[in-house]
Amino acid sequence: MVNDFEGGRQEKDIVGSYFLELWRSKSKKAAVSYAKDVEMVNLDNECEELEEEEEPVPTELDTLNSSGGFSIVLPNKLSVQYPTVNLHGHDVGVVQANCPAPVKRLLYYFEIYVKNAGAKGQIAIGFTTEGFHMRRQPGWEANSFGYHGDDGLLYRGHGKGEAFGPTYSTGDVVGGGINYTSHEFFFTKNGQVVGTVEKDVKGRLYPTIAVHSQYEEVIVNFGKDPFIFDLKAYEATLRAKQQAVIERILIPQAASYGLIRSYLQHYGYEETLNVLDEASQTCIPPITTTTTGVHDNGFNEYGAYALNHRKILRKLIKDGQIDDAFAKLREWYPETVEDDTSAICLMLQCQKFIELVRVGHLEEAVEYGRSHFEKFYKLKEYEDLVKDCAGLLAYEDPKKSGGLGYLVEDSQRENLADAVNAMILSTNPEEANTKRSCLHSYLERLLRQLTACFLEKRLLNGNQGEAFHLPRVLLAKNN
Amino acid sequence: MSLFWSVIRQLAEIEAMATSKKVITRDEWEKKLNDVKIRKEDMNKLVMNFLVTEGYVDAAEKFRMESGTEPDIDLATITDRMAVKKAVQSGNVEDAIEKVNDLNPEILDTNPQLFFHLQQQRLIELIRNGKIEEALEFAQEELAPRGEENQSFLEELERTVALLAFEDVKNSPVGDLLDISQRLKTASEVNAAILTSQSHEKDPKLPSLLRMLLWAQNQLDEKAAYPRITDLFTATLEDPTV
Repeated sequence: MVNDFEGGRQEKDIVGSYFLELWRSKSKKAAVSYAKDVEMVNLDNECEELEEEEEPVPTELDTLNSSGGFSIVLPNKLSVQYPTVNLHGHDVGVVQANCPAPVKRLLYYFEIYVKNAGAKGQIAIGFTTEGFHMRRQPGWEANSFGYHGDDGLLYRGHGKGEAFGPTYSTGDVVGGGINYTSHEFFFTKNGQVVGTVEKDVKGRLYPTIAVHSQYEEVIVNFGKDPFIFDLKAYEATLRAKQQAVIERILIPQAASYGLIRSYLQHYGYEETLNVLDEASQTCIPPITTTTTGVHDNGFNEYGAYALNHRKILRKLIKDGQIDDAFAKLREWYPETVEDDTSAICLMLQCQKFIELVRVGHLEEAVEYGRSHFEKFYKLKEYEDLVKDCAGLLAYEDPKKSGGLGYLVEDSQRENLADAVNAMILSTNPEEANTKRSCLHSYLERLLRQLTACFLEKRLLNGNQGEAFHLPRVLLAKNN
Repeated sequence: MSLFWSVIRQLAEIEAMATSKKVITRDEWEKKLNDVKIRKEDMNKLVMNFLVTEGYVDAAEKFRMESGTEPDIDLATITDRMAVKKAVQSGNVEDAIEKVNDLNPEILDTNPQLFFHLQQQRLIELIRNGKIEEALEFAQEELAPRGEENQSFLEELERTVALLAFEDVKNSPVGDLLDISQRLKTASEVNAAILTSQSHEKDPKLPSLLRMLLWAQNQLDEKAAYPRITDLFTATLEDPTV
């Protein structure tokens, strides 16, 4: 996804190429390569957009790698029986799931139903690593963990169990789970948590069950059927607990308000800003804070730079008045559109073309394209985007034009407006040393930091645990 | 013996490696930050959520126009909610109660605690205005019966009428009740109840996210040294301390 810019040019136009990449991430080419990525995705891929949806989850029992002879997996691949012959005491029948438990989440959980406790009820549920010895009960070996039915003990790493929970037998539903935040296993019996135990192993773990005496039969539920245990409620409790810890952290009272203000400034939402300022001045007493000085805090001077110009240009672009926007830009900030083949000029001219298509002036669009696009065709780095635009002509209703519909959406205009906004910010002589500050508002920088912290924490934790996704937070209604 | 010591030394080294934090330089970290994808529309939603929840109705309306972001609640309901809040903040509790009931009578019916706190605020305002007789009558007729239902209500009632017993109320042990912060507390309780009745969250999401950022940084501190952000107002990255 790296631009083939010549070094010097890329250096110069950080802003332009940044917004070009934002566009490109929606382009038809990106959509195609995204589809290819999905096919090629592997377990350790750090591709965050795919992760939770794409991480494989156990769905059935592994029939190939089982302890041949001492367990019989029924054809539905969800039931295990111990052979009816009376076998030797060491002949444990162990079966793992067809893949390890997914890790990029808060919890993993599965359940078993003990259909028949058989002769001795020596059933076990637990977790084992790859290459586990299939003739040993889970928990007997290092890096394996098992909750055993006959004695209710928890085994981890050796043949001696420790006091844990009740025994279980025919008719009981028993569950095993992993909490990736607390690094613990938890086990349940008939819908109640039995206990938790530290998970001191980092590798991938397979949900595992074992049968060990005549007539024993167990049915596994990997989540295809509803669990007896209320996993959702359990997860909600855990989240609420964590949230309570977070809510106790003190932040400056005026921080949110200040960040909202600087965001409005950054993007040139001037009218909103003015109304907000007015509201917080007339409101007695102030809503957000009882301290004075809101306006001194969270108020970045550079943010007010060219605010009114940026607002006017945003409005013009939002209304599709590209010619007017171009003209104003030429008048006020000629340096930003000096180079006719710069990223910003490309974006403006493509948008002009798109607007013509939007209103159905196709002939005019063709003419505009012919006279303006040619210079871009020579530049490799623009090829895919110009092609996307030109492709719009093939459709009667551009909204239904397959992978190109994104071009006629409002978000395309907004991206251009954001690009123009950043271009103007970059002309601020006060901010010459840090070009990047025109790209991201303070709010965005904090959100990036938040996301990066979660990802890094997970990375240092063997890739286990949840990532931070802003859209998920926005959807949640939990406070 | 020398073998023994070399093993000990090796173990110590392994331990040091295990406990020493990973150091992430500014360049490495900035690269990670640049790889993060935050969608503009999501930030817009976050801003809209703040404006709506905090009750900046005009700003929310403008923001809808300027950014094309749709609010997740009918903006008209904000105006009503803010009118209630303002009434409590300026001491017109009776007016506020009436407005809440116009909005949705269930809010007070299903929140005995909120209703009590509003009545308590009304009592406080009567005392503040020197309407002693009226205050006593109101306390005995309206508040005392509610106190019988609930022990904590009764205690609060006793605390409130105690305002009458002090000459210099401001410096009395119950003086805090006359403070502006008591009005704000009641106002924000009503505000939250109205939002909940509209099946909307009572707090904006942004402050929570800021807390989460500080929390996540604290968590990561245990494992790594990396550029942190301490000043939320300027979002400045600080060089890692090793």
